[in-house]
Amino acid sequence: MPDTHFYQPKHFYQYDDYDRALVAERVEQFRDQVRRRIAGELTEEQFKPLRLTNGLYLQLHAYMLRIAIPYGTLSSRQLRKLADISRKYDRGYGHFTTRQNLQLNWIKLEDAPDALAALADVDMHAIQTSGNCIRNVTADHYAGAAVDEIEDPRIWCEIVRQWSTLHPEFSFLPRKFKIAITGSPNDRAAVRVHDIGLRLWANEAGEVGFEVIVGGGLGRTPMIGKTLREFLPRDELLAYLEATLRVYNRYGRRDNLYKARIKILVHEIGAEKMREEVEAEYAAIKDGALKLPVETIEAIARQFAPPPLPHRPAVVAEVEGLKLEDRDFALWLKSNVAPHRMAGYRIVTASLKPAGAPPGDASAVQMEGVADIADAYSQGEIRVSHEQNLVLPHVAAEDLPAVWRALGRLGFAEANVGKITDIIACPGLDYCALANARSIPVAQRISNHFAGLARQHDIGDLKIKISGCINACGHHHVGHIGILGVDKNGVELYQLSLGGDIDFGKTAIGAILGPAVTADKVVEAVDALVRTYLDARSDGERFVDTYRRIGAQPFKERVYAAV
Amino acid sequence: MPLFSETGNTTILEPLPFADWQRRPAWPAVSLANTDPVEDLAPHVGRLRLIVLNFPKFSDGRAYSQARLLRGRLGYTGELRATGGVLQDQLPFMLRCGFDSFESDQKGFGEALAKARTLFSVVYQPAEDDRATASLLRLSRRNVHPAV
Amino acid sequence: MAKNLSGDLSIASANRLVDGVVVFLDDAGQWTTRFELAAVARDKRAGEILLERARAEAFDVIDPFLVAVTEDDDARIEPVSLREKIRVSGLTFDAIAADAVRYA
Repeated sequence: MPDTHFYQPKHFYQYDDYDRALVAERVEQFRDQVRRRIAGELTEEQFKPLRLTNGLYLQLHAYMLRIAIPYGTLSSRQLRKLADISRKYDRGYGHFTTRQNLQLNWIKLEDAPDALAALADVDMHAIQTSGNCIRNVTADHYAGAAVDEIEDPRIWCEIVRQWSTLHPEFSFLPRKFKIAITGSPNDRAAVRVHDIGLRLWANEAGEVGFEVIVGGGLGRTPMIGKTLREFLPRDELLAYLEATLRVYNRYGRRDNLYKARIKILVHEIGAEKMREEVEAEYAAIKDGALKLPVETIEAIARQFAPPPLPHRPAVVAEVEGLKLEDRDFALWLKSNVAPHRMAGYRIVTASLKPAGAPPGDASAVQMEGVADIADAYSQGEIRVSHEQNLVLPHVAAEDLPAVWRALGRLGFAEANVGKITDIIACPGLDYCALANARSIPVAQRISNHFAGLARQHDIGDLKIKISGCINACGHHHVGHIGILGVDKNGVELYQLSLGGDIDFGKTAIGAILGPAVTADKVVEAVDALVRTYLDARSDGERFVDTYRRIGAQPFKERVYAAV
Repeated sequence: MPLFSETGNTTILEPLPFADWQRRPAWPAVSLANTDPVEDLAPHVGRLRLIVLNFPKFSDGRAYSQARLLRGRLGYTGELRATGGVLQDQLPFMLRCGFDSFESDQKGFGEALAKARTLFSVVYQPAEDDRATASLLRLSRRNVHPAV
Repeated sequence: MAKNLSGDLSIASANRLVDGVVVFLDDAGQWTTRFELAAVARDKRAGEILLERARAEAFDVIDPFLVAVTEDDDARIEPVSLREKIRVSGLTFDAIAADAVRYA
């Protein structure tokens, strides 16, 4: 593979000395806080928010470090460093999450400052990936490459990232705060189920602005966000966000942990009142220091300018030939390869869901392998999707066979993206102190059961999302099939829901099917669901389309007859 | 409870709790609960010399917004004191939000206060201190060196 | 065969501060990683005393708590809840290895 990675220019925001200073100083601040904690100068209660806002959770077996991957974008150098850190400070593997971050599960507190210093070396950090503050701002994982994109949302993710980092007023919110941004009418960032979702769109005059959606969320009380503002001029984004956060900080509930998200505030006072409060605050500040100068926006936007991709042929004989010869390649093209803005290119998803594997996990060697492929074939850039896969955003069509083979050597070329075995699962009770039930073994069993590629492609697009508790980190509410692990008298049970979705116009919270089933019946239940669909589907209908047409009853009958 | 400030100038005025102060608004010192409406102080900010804001728990961040509104929206220039859950690790935030005095019995608070403003050489967002944001510095740097 | 004396058996556990590792209070009042060495409290009152002791020794650990256990005929203990079983014995599946290229 060509040794180009030291010289490749990057096509996303690059840190300058200011960014670097802040991250380095944050590491030193935390190093001192760790020292004081270990020396007993800080109690655990005093220390907990300090370590959370540096990404460190205490889980069942060990500390977990959640590393921020802003807008899911990584350079190959950064990905290699993550591999390095996983080897040096952890057990040599990591988990890519539903918020585009990376989790390492076996970190020691005493090593954390050094791990964070290593991250700082490649302009990365774990700032505010946990705690009651503004978290990683996520984006469409196809940003900058998608055919349907109006504007690259990552420009705004970076602007929001800076504004929200160590924000002195919003570091002790009632609860966590999650923002997602999409630049496309097809919402690949799930913006309607975030505390604030932002959708870039162009009005009739051709001006691009934001639809501001507030109060979405999953968890105990799943809700779809309400549009607070149809069209917000882009340069007023930070003022509007500050106004919204200020209203939340002042009036969000603090009496009950489970009622403290902004969605509860919107629900309790109503969208109309919320809008009034936010607009009043926004009116008072919009022409102040938060108004974004055009030069500031442009300076950041320039850094996300699309890479100058050389012209490559749109139709490639080798690809067409291989498609006919090799059925696995043909299926991979269908499921794992998406169109790109530029005719000679494609967006390739590396499936981190090999049959029977823990979803979303990658070993150090695999991470390095993906970094190498990115250097050779994708402008040195990798994305993390909120569906726990990695994406190579700029692959020339001519290079598809080579990329397929290279990913195959890593075990990341399973042709299952968007299919039934492309399962999204939280870490669950195997790792997580909050969980009620395990999710990874359930995912593994389903994955093994449906492993046959031809069958998977016949079943078609079907998103199974599994959460090990009501906190819904597996996003089960918005799975076509959602599976929620619960604990009843010490026994793991799994509640199924159907019809969840995240795209605009179709955002839906799944409806619970019926009584929860035992762990050993989950595969049969899913199988019954699939059979019901296959028997009832009309031409071109996906699982979720058939469900919407025929309703839950046929599915319910089949499942409960089988389990 | 030890009282700290950067300048060492703190007032000995006794603050009245908000409900009591509302009956005697000429009194120049008031203490608010973090649910009290700071906006009601607007007509009196010129006269007030001390406002005390409360953190019932250090993790309850409502007073940060109160502080910023008092400084930024209402233009209050007197002593703004933090009481309650006041810990040294939150000092950088408190200072940026406009607090200038602190009641705390945490060991080492005074030393931490002396260093708190310099813990971070960069700030990303405007607040109630006069620090130039990275954004602003970049603009002025670009104007000096347009190629950057 | 597991014997459960009306669910009264308990041990004290915590996570070690410096590295998060799961530890148990042994008879000598020290924190050990070895589950089989955990001091067993045999009734509710003994459990309360054990927890007090654990909290008194909590400088190097985080938030000690009691774990209900059962005991078999060979005096081997096992946690009652699945959560604590996992905490004691680790992941219930094989994690990917550092140099793994394909999942085993």
